[in-house]
Amino acid sequence: MVAALALYPFVYALLVASPLGTEAETLLPRVDTMVGVFYFGLFAMSFDFVSGYTGYLSFGHAIFYGTGAYFVVLAANGQVPLLAPGTPFMLMLLLAGLLAVAIALAIGALSFRLSGVYFAMITLGFAQVAYVFVRGWDYVSENPKDGAAVSTDVHPDGFDVGIPWIDALNLEIGRLTGDTVEFLFVSLSGTEVSYYMVGLVVLVCYLAMQRLIHSPFGTVLLAIRENEERAEAVGYEPFQFKLAAFAISGFFAAVAGGLSGGYGRSVAPDSSMYFLVTGDALLASIIGGFGTLAGPLYGRLFDETVREFLSKRGSGGGLLPYLRDHLPASVIEADLVGGLTVGGAIETFLNGHASLYVGVIFVLFVLYVPNGLLGTVRDRLGGTVAKQLPDYLDRYRRD
Amino acid sequence: MTGTVLAPLFVDALGEFFRPGTLSEVLLNGLSKAALYAMIASGLTLVFGLLGVLNFAHGSFTMLGAYLGGLVMVVLVGSATGDLARVLFFLVGTLVVFAAIGALGGAVEVGLIRQLYDRPPIYQILLTFGLALVLDEGARIVVAFYGLQPITDWRDALGTKPGFMAENLEVAGLTVAPLALFQIVFGVVTIGAVWLFLTRTRYGMVVRAGSEDDEMTAALGIDVNRVFTTVFALGSAVAGVAGMLLMWDPVWGASLPLAHETLLPAFVVVIVGGLGTFRGTVVAAGLVGLVDATMTWWFQNAITFTGLPEMMIFLVLVLTLIVRPQGLFGVEEVGGH
Repeated sequence: MVAALALYPFVYALLVASPLGTEAETLLPRVDTMVGVFYFGLFAMSFDFVSGYTGYLSFGHAIFYGTGAYFVVLAANGQVPLLAPGTPFMLMLLLAGLLAVAIALAIGALSFRLSGVYFAMITLGFAQVAYVFVRGWDYVSENPKDGAAVSTDVHPDGFDVGIPWIDALNLEIGRLTGDTVEFLFVSLSGTEVSYYMVGLVVLVCYLAMQRLIHSPFGTVLLAIRENEERAEAVGYEPFQFKLAAFAISGFFAAVAGGLSGGYGRSVAPDSSMYFLVTGDALLASIIGGFGTLAGPLYGRLFDETVREFLSKRGSGGGLLPYLRDHLPASVIEADLVGGLTVGGAIETFLNGHASLYVGVIFVLFVLYVPNGLLGTVRDRLGGTVAKQLPDYLDRYRRD
Repeated sequence: MTGTVLAPLFVDALGEFFRPGTLSEVLLNGLSKAALYAMIASGLTLVFGLLGVLNFAHGSFTMLGAYLGGLVMVVLVGSATGDLARVLFFLVGTLVVFAAIGALGGAVEVGLIRQLYDRPPIYQILLTFGLALVLDEGARIVVAFYGLQPITDWRDALGTKPGFMAENLEVAGLTVAPLALFQIVFGVVTIGAVWLFLTRTRYGMVVRAGSEDDEMTAALGIDVNRVFTTVFALGSAVAGVAGMLLMWDPVWGASLPLAHETLLPAFVVVIVGGLGTFRGTVVAAGLVGLVDATMTWWFQNAITFTGLPEMMIFLVLVLTLIVRPQGLFGVEEVGGH
């Protein structure tokens, strides 16, 4: 899968240039969208790390994402004390993550005395307090309700991803300010470079989390999810493990937020700290597979693909521009009911309303595919290899 | 910035706050908010107590109620309609909203939520969350289709308010907003009706028995599933009616964000009061409503920090959960402690 993602920008460019280019452009997400899939996918993974593996629904997880995004933007503007605007981006991400760890420890110490719905609610409460706070905090920018942007005066360059202080091992990310690369016969645009560099950070974070999940530590988390009392009876202290999982997950959520702040060069309270941001992570986790680490990334990919397919924007394709170009005008203008044309109907009921269809899909997943995309595939494979095979053999033996 | 500048300002504001005129205004405001929160949250707490489902789509029912109520009013009321007729039409609209949102709620319970009772509670949160997305986006499509602004308040519906509710009354030197009075009266009547239903009717007894122990209730020969449906429908219907009240209120108005604006305070009220206790919810609604109104006043007059009231509401939630995790009137075992 990593290989497939590594080749994606080339495949996308090839397909768009091919005779079926417009179809490909309509169906496939743009590379720019994919960058968002990466960093938000990382956030969804970190959400899944604590919620899917310990069973404690962290409904205020957006606080860590927002912390990361705000930290990076403020640090780049020189508004974080003791931190120069020129601090390497990697170091900013690390510091943002550590700040989130501190916040997570404070919130977790109070919240993990509760469980079930109450846990979800108290974390939501903390996150909403933070959300309302940054929305009204005029230190952030003149108009805190709209968030803040990285100033081009203080921090004119893009954000470097790579090994700090070694120029040759760094590439800048960003839509406009990112580096471009010419290497042999390959040339990459700023967006494509961002795709690889953001993807690289996300991959490293994913591998780190993967390692933790498959360590004895991760096994204890699963034990807590399945039966907390028994885990305690066996001799583990659930509180410490839950708190540690929460802090680790907060760290990676802040890194994801920092990436989004660095790539977009701005932050807004409604797209970073609001409880619906956590909702989006939840959506991605459920569709992709709750309790599978890579699942949320696929969930987010699915979500974004549907959204872009039904988007209003003309660039990057979408259903409506495609139909406009390819259906004869008589079909588009045809009356359906009482003056409502086909084009009008698509405009009204499909375009920009991806939330409705994603919501329907989400509900169907909750009802009928509770394990999500990845979880179900794993179940199928596990079933065929581990369970079905002995059954088949048994049947033959009886004959 | 410094203390010397702030302190006299603060003392001034304190003196201003304790004037009878200000106090009565804040109190009235707080009670009207409390009445609305109690209406919205009571459905939430009943549903949780009986079904064990924390309904994220509850705010969407309120939002739908606001739009539906607005629609009824816009259709019925013309510019020539008198004030009394408008109030009467409002009552008619209330019945329509109650029936329609109740039916919707019942359908949701039978069609969707019923399938999830034997799964972990997290799935019900997820399902209702998805349902809220669908309802909100569906409403957005319809609203946009008729050329209304989805984000700002629905003007036409606001315009159907009787004239005497639009202006403040001066009674014995105190400023009284008739709309707030109307909301308080309406809320008290609704909450009273639900309370009477729960404590004085046979069906209410069944509902309370079901909250206590649904298996035992079923063993006594009662069709618990039907009780579930009824309670879910009732809770949704009351939330819808609360939305209808909000439609006339210029502070809220019928708009799509209403779903979240009401859902979050309602959650706070339910948790602070203790999940599943009706009495706790009513008391907590009073508490949260008064805190909200007080902080709104301070924010408008003394402290320049936007969003202060909202922040206080969530601080109340967090503090309650730290000090008394089961809520004011909650029972330890409820909600997975």
